[in-house]
Amino acid sequence: MKLHRLVRPLLAAALALGAHAAHSQTIGYIYVGPEKDYGYNTSHDLGRQYVEKTVSGTKTLHVENIPETAEVSRVMERMIKSGASIVFATSYGYLDYAIELGKKYPKVAFMHAGGLKTGDNVGTYWANSDDAIYLAGMAAGSVTKSGKLGFIAAFPIPQVVRSINAFTLGAQAMNPKVTTTVVWTGGWLEPAKEAEATNSLVDAGIDVIGEQVDSPITIAQTAEKRGIFVVGKDVDVSKFAPKSVLTGASWNWGPTMVKVVNEIKAGTWKPSHIRGDLKDGTVVLDPFGPAVTEPVRKTILAKKADILADKFEVWSGPMTAQDGKELLPAGKAMPMDMLESMGFFVKGVIGTIK
Amino acid sequence: MSGGTVDRARAMAAPLGRPALAAAAFVVLAAAFFAVIGRNPLSMIGVVLEAAAGDSYAIGESLVRATPILLCALATALPARVGLISVGAEGQFYAGAIAGTGTVLSMLPTPGWTMLPLMLVTGALGGMALSLLAGLLRTGLQVNETISTLLTNYVAALLVTWLVYGPWKSPASQGWPATVEFPAAAKLPALFDSRVHAGLLIGIALAVVLHLVLTRSRWGLVLDVLRSNPRAGLVAGLDFRRNALIVMALGGALAGLAGIAETASIQGRLQSDIAGGAGFSGFLVAWLARNHCLRIIPLSLLVGALLASGDGLQMFAQVPSSVTLVIQGLLFVAVLLVNGWLDRKRPG
Amino acid sequence: MTTFDIVLGSFLVSALRSATPLVFVLVGETLVQRTGSINLGVEGQMLVGAMAGYGAAALWGDPWLGLVAGAVAGMLLSSVHGLLTLAARANQFASGLAVWMLGFGLSAYYGAGLVGRKIEGFGTWRGAGPDSVPVLGPIVAGMTPTVLLALVVAPAVAWWFWRTRTGLVWRAVGESPEAARAAGLRPIRVRLQAILLGGLLSGLGGAALSVDHTRTWAEGMTAGRGLVAVGLVIVARWNPWWVLPTALLFGGAEALALRLQTADAGVSAHLLLTLPYITSLAVLTLTCLRDRGQAAPAGLRAVMDR
Repeated sequence: MKLHRLVRPLLAAALALGAHAAHSQTIGYIYVGPEKDYGYNTSHDLGRQYVEKTVSGTKTLHVENIPETAEVSRVMERMIKSGASIVFATSYGYLDYAIELGKKYPKVAFMHAGGLKTGDNVGTYWANSDDAIYLAGMAAGSVTKSGKLGFIAAFPIPQVVRSINAFTLGAQAMNPKVTTTVVWTGGWLEPAKEAEATNSLVDAGIDVIGEQVDSPITIAQTAEKRGIFVVGKDVDVSKFAPKSVLTGASWNWGPTMVKVVNEIKAGTWKPSHIRGDLKDGTVVLDPFGPAVTEPVRKTILAKKADILADKFEVWSGPMTAQDGKELLPAGKAMPMDMLESMGFFVKGVIGTIK
Repeated sequence: MSGGTVDRARAMAAPLGRPALAAAAFVVLAAAFFAVIGRNPLSMIGVVLEAAAGDSYAIGESLVRATPILLCALATALPARVGLISVGAEGQFYAGAIAGTGTVLSMLPTPGWTMLPLMLVTGALGGMALSLLAGLLRTGLQVNETISTLLTNYVAALLVTWLVYGPWKSPASQGWPATVEFPAAAKLPALFDSRVHAGLLIGIALAVVLHLVLTRSRWGLVLDVLRSNPRAGLVAGLDFRRNALIVMALGGALAGLAGIAETASIQGRLQSDIAGGAGFSGFLVAWLARNHCLRIIPLSLLVGALLASGDGLQMFAQVPSSVTLVIQGLLFVAVLLVNGWLDRKRPG
Repeated sequence: MTTFDIVLGSFLVSALRSATPLVFVLVGETLVQRTGSINLGVEGQMLVGAMAGYGAAALWGDPWLGLVAGAVAGMLLSSVHGLLTLAARANQFASGLAVWMLGFGLSAYYGAGLVGRKIEGFGTWRGAGPDSVPVLGPIVAGMTPTVLLALVVAPAVAWWFWRTRTGLVWRAVGESPEAARAAGLRPIRVRLQAILLGGLLSGLGGAALSVDHTRTWAEGMTAGRGLVAVGLVIVARWNPWWVLPTALLFGGAEALALRLQTADAGVSAHLLLTLPYITSLAVLTLTCLRDRGQAAPAGLRAVMDR
């Protein structure tokens, strides 16, 4: 208790350094990796900054490098105890902990990145980047000479498996014989393995690589060094590999987050599964690189227009699994639970998911 | 400064003053670092204290973090008593988690009261098995135990990953790599309405018992002789191999226990990365405590509190997570410097 | 040129690239342990080396300066270990871990501003070399300056260690500091020199990783390679001559775990990624089967009692 009395004024002073006005809303953000990773976590932090700037009377707390284990319970609880009334849990593995804590703190609103569970005060947000990756896959399918594509990814979780399948389907739309060889690095931020995985794929005759790791920088630069092509994810990396980058799928989380925060403030928010996409601008198709020819650009942009006009749906049949079994009959759209817990590869993907 | 003054200062500082002196050295180092990065040292140190022990919640979370570290430190200290340097607590933690989880999964869907004891015992056996592998390689083939425990750490962690992505993945997890949630029957009793569980008490009790055994029993003396003078041990007819295997086995069991207790009571399911470096923190604590089981208790609590306060420092002081690491490093530098200075005249 | 040549040649290059940072670190830590210390802080030294190297390369636009800066940064951090263990006589393991944390924390703190900066790396000799020569062609094409440097440094240090007078002094200190002192040598000074040289080489290894191999800075990017290197010293039996094969064994297994995936081996990637660790342990066990026990420097065994 003594310690308490000693520390409180100091703490107040420390907090006062960051905030001088009275804030009505404190929002907590939790990141699984470094805030400055030039990738997934940075994209979320940009969203945080956008919220702080756009919604008046908001203050944000943010914490980086929190693993997807029970550690996150402690962090969320401390945020709530420090006054956070909204918590953005920005990584896929935080979901069960958010739902558990949601029961304990019914007045706090939790927003979790992806997943298909909700609670009375826990909703999810995500953006279907699959459309943009499909379009990027079309670019990949158009430039490959060997017909062999590669994909480097950290772990086989649904959000990654979806990207691999969308990439492959897009490429097959341009060249039906295309295959995608998958290499798992076993870590979100493993530059050494990412570089060597890229080299391995190039040595195996692969000439376009897609990726979903924390930051695309290493893979893009190694691809440029080896003279092959690459498709980015999370952030535009064309400045690191001006010749090699074909295009990519980037995030813009800010507007979605602002919308949710305003709804919560207005008391109109109800937990649901918010899913952004190309249409609402949460996902952005990066500018094309020089290797994508004018006719190909036209084809891709036409497909993009079809997607925006709901004339084309990436996740619809006919769709065949890796082993040749039918996943979806012609004309049938994929149900949301199948999409969000995707644990299969489509035909043409080479690799194991387990 | 004359030699007399130094001696007097040293006499005054020992032995109760030692922690105070280390704390003072730490505050100086930390304040210097905060000043370098342009932060107010006093308020920053206040934030750390507040986040680590400011209220019952903060204290509870510090104890939660300290529990596996305490057990892993004991798992390091025991082999060290015969001069074996095991860095394997992290891997034994995972081996225990795997074995205990196997028990839980095999007893579902009808958990009885036997689940908890069986889970704990198999968890301890799992850690023991991995540790014994290193022990047998050492005693049988002279394979250095430091490298074998280091390498098997990585293997055990990857085995957990393989299991939760593959054979043990819960169908209800929507693709997230984790086993099914453990039933309430697999959880250790919680203490004071917090996440702190009985594993902490088990750890403290074990530390005390081990301390008494190691300092008071004949066996403790046997281990000391084997460590400090293997040749004398040989002459006295002491069996290094047998005792090495015993301490490795016991140490592994402790780390395995830490693993399954953390899995069942804190995580509630098996998944990757749950050790969170507890094995390495335990190694550090053990060597800071010079493998003294009683000293391990406060040091584990200290390290647990520092780790648990890291997110608070990020939140309230708006510094990156790396600052916590630097602070931790500086704390250990301070402790080591003060200890070294106080023990300078001792033969060693 | 057949597919076999490409596969074999490119695999060797891949193994060499993966092994290169390890070679520097292993050489340094071998010398540290040979003189009777052990430094678990190499992981942190690699990280500050990687960060400082990347920062210097970004600032001055020259990868060579990056390597130099990385080496200096690693050496500076290792002086903390030297101070703690030699002046304050602290426990070596605890001190090493403290250095590790300091290195990780400081590099992440000061490296945050470098994320997203671009550097100019070394060029390769791809296309300039004799690509048509079997096996050798791809090897030459895949070489980079740090790979060559590693191939030179390891045998050069081994030669120095076994064949020169100062090498003998260092070995004598590691075997028996008392005897060395009686012979008029200064063990503490030699140990400090070894720790600083080990810091220099581990910093260089870190810089090779960031400046040359990946051209990226990311916090914690060494991912345990430094710690593994401390252990691999034992696999190399404290002998600088064995550093190159040991590093190649580990680097080769690392490369193989990725290459087997590209070859659609059908095995879980998580299991494939255990390859470097299992291979190292298996090879160590096999060599122990042959001649029981490792030639640990006698002075090193005293470490644990402090």
